[in-house]
Amino acid sequence: MKIMKGPYLYGICPSVKIHPPKFYVVKLRRVKKLLDKNIGEGIGGGKVFRIPYKDIEAVVSEVYLKEFGSKEIQKRAAEDLEWIKEKALMHEKVIETAMNNSDGLIIPMKFGAIFKGRESLISSLKKDYLRFKNLFKNLNGKAEYSVKIYLKSKPLENEIRKSSPIIQRKLEEIKSLPAGRQYFLEEEVNEMAKKEARNSINNYIPLFLEKLKGFTEELKENKILGKELTQRNDPMVFNGAFLVKKEKVDRFQKEIQKLRAEYEKIGFTFESSGPWPPYNFV
Amino acid sequence: MKHPKIQTLENITTSGRPPIEERVTLIDALDKVLEKGAVLDGEIAIRVADVDLVFIGLKLLITSISRAEVLRRGEDSSGGAVSKEDEEYIKGLEREIERAEGNIPRIIEASDPKKAEKGIAQLVLTLVKLIKDLMYREAKRRMGKGNLSEVEIQKLGLTFKALDKKIEEIRAIFGLEDEELNLDLGPLGNLM
Repeated sequence: MKIMKGPYLYGICPSVKIHPPKFYVVKLRRVKKLLDKNIGEGIGGGKVFRIPYKDIEAVVSEVYLKEFGSKEIQKRAAEDLEWIKEKALMHEKVIETAMNNSDGLIIPMKFGAIFKGRESLISSLKKDYLRFKNLFKNLNGKAEYSVKIYLKSKPLENEIRKSSPIIQRKLEEIKSLPAGRQYFLEEEVNEMAKKEARNSINNYIPLFLEKLKGFTEELKENKILGKELTQRNDPMVFNGAFLVKKEKVDRFQKEIQKLRAEYEKIGFTFESSGPWPPYNFV
Repeated sequence: MKHPKIQTLENITTSGRPPIEERVTLIDALDKVLEKGAVLDGEIAIRVADVDLVFIGLKLLITSISRAEVLRRGEDSSGGAVSKEDEEYIKGLEREIERAEGNIPRIIEASDPKKAEKGIAQLVLTLVKLIKDLMYREAKRRMGKGNLSEVEIQKLGLTFKALDKKIEEIRAIFGLEDEELNLDLGPLGNLM
């Protein structure tokens, strides 16, 4: 019985230019094989290696089709949190290492891309060759950075309470009332400040993005993650990925520092991470 | 350039919760890998269920929506017509309860006694605050209808104020942040 294996695809890189001494050309193959040896095993336990097509290369490792194509695995992927976590992190790690082996250039694949065989992978590469070439052109010298913004509402509400003339006037008005009734009116003022704070977020976020725009090439806005995911008490108010040119990374990060210095005191927290493979720009 | 450090599964299970930075990157990594990235024709994809559900695996400790339902049924069977105002009021209560629920599942971590203590304090305070907020709403409704005397208003207002202060005090003792008891969804939630 034949055991069927197929390539699990992590990402696509431009061919790495290797310059061995002229009389060693024969050994080029071996050099290529060693290229990703620092990655070790991929998903499913196979070695990570590259399949070339023209001047691009697919970073893959072999998996048993039966194992990964079966219903059980689909069920597992849909239900077993630990399994997904383990495999998905492996996927990300392989991509990241391969990216570093390829001058920081890779088209990362979404988790779980498996081909029936080498031929079907090559025919996919052939079909999308131009698309990949264009992507490489666009991504060259750039990396993805994540920016997430959180907001603690209390400091912003306090700020608004201080700066809003309407609220100030209301507070003045109720000062002379009996304490019991005063409580109810104070609560109304608090509600007002809360509402105002909520509305003002719509002004702050575009302001932040405008400031970062000068140092970034592209922005992809992602959906806001809930508290269960962020494990933070203050809610997320912005989640995005920026494509940043290498030479602008420093200034981009300085700008985030500046935003921190200016807006942290009214409750905003800025979280950035990177460089990432450009998952959001492929 | 600094590279994001990815926490491996082993580290997570053996050392408890990873430090904040790594946790952040972990979520980021999973989010990117499972949701984003290129897709090609002709591939067999491992289909992961709804990504949000995968991460969250959320269990609610209290399913108090049923309480609101009982309330609604009670009004129905009483025979009296439910006014639009009443209906909205009940809807408001339901929303309030749902908001509180959101805070509860994350709260109690039984493996760590210190965290568990804090968690229980948080749970109790969240509920106390919920009840207070519901009473407050009821009081305001009656005020609006003109059912309360000046003395009653005075009493109620002072009681609420005292309750607020007490909640604040206990909150400070257990080192809980204001947001941890916050029953509204913050800047993203709907206004009552």
